[in-house]
Amino acid sequence: MARKTRQVETRLIAEYLKERYPEFTFIMKQPLGAVSEELMKEEGYERAIKVMRPFRPEVDAVVILPANLLIIEAKVWSVVNGLAKLPLYKSLVPVTPELKQYMPRNVMMQLVVGWTNPNLEIMARAMDVEVKVYRPEWLEEVVEGMHKYWTSEYQAERQAKIRMREYFGVE
Amino acid sequence: MVLENYVILETGVPARLHFTDHVTQRRTTTDPLTGQPTTRNVLVFDVDRLDGREVFAKYSIMAEKHAGQFGPYLPDKSYRGYDFLITKTGEGFRTSWSLQVIPKA
Repeated sequence: MARKTRQVETRLIAEYLKERYPEFTFIMKQPLGAVSEELMKEEGYERAIKVMRPFRPEVDAVVILPANLLIIEAKVWSVVNGLAKLPLYKSLVPVTPELKQYMPRNVMMQLVVGWTNPNLEIMARAMDVEVKVYRPEWLEEVVEGMHKYWTSEYQAERQAKIRMREYFGVE
Repeated sequence: MVLENYVILETGVPARLHFTDHVTQRRTTTDPLTGQPTTRNVLVFDVDRLDGREVFAKYSIMAEKHAGQFGPYLPDKSYRGYDFLITKTGEGFRTSWSLQVIPKA
């Protein structure tokens, strides 16, 4: 079935960075982790980076601050996944060749979310991650839609819609 | 000045671009999988500098996830105050764009 996707998290992080860090250089979608030195010697830097790409995770953003590197994950839905990834990503920063020019700097972690809750805050504090709530107007609609998704009324309405689509052979 | 009509990114090779203007266009293309014509929205930037060289070129973006990275800079054309270092990685549906946003001094 054809399904329209919305790049909600891309929009969220792009707007957040422009609003909060307009005077600093930042990188969106930065691959992290080591690239084999042997491979670099054999194939050259650019080719080695290319070959290793599928084995390197990607952090949503890195902000180059004067004394720190700030790594950021932005999440609208799987917020705990975002939180859990950050300390693992932090461990890869010192061995990331693309970030070598910015080291040594202290690495800080930030989770940007549309909303928060006390448990998320407790977990974040335990992992030394700063939680930032960023909720532009357009996100209200997305979040509301998500909360509504789990209500029995919405599910009943959705099932009825799916049945009608199947009946008429739409999509 | 180097005359290049379109900036084509090579996978894994960063390119530093500066944009002066943009338009969004509806463009009919041929779907590479089905061979059928399909209409897409395309974001097209005018490029005046490429890797430090003066150029007169276009940078065309069809992928929503890449265009979305520029979203906040479009309404006020504030991209004019930045350089963008773009690195394309992966192929096909797994293509991703690492975008470094560098404020102009």
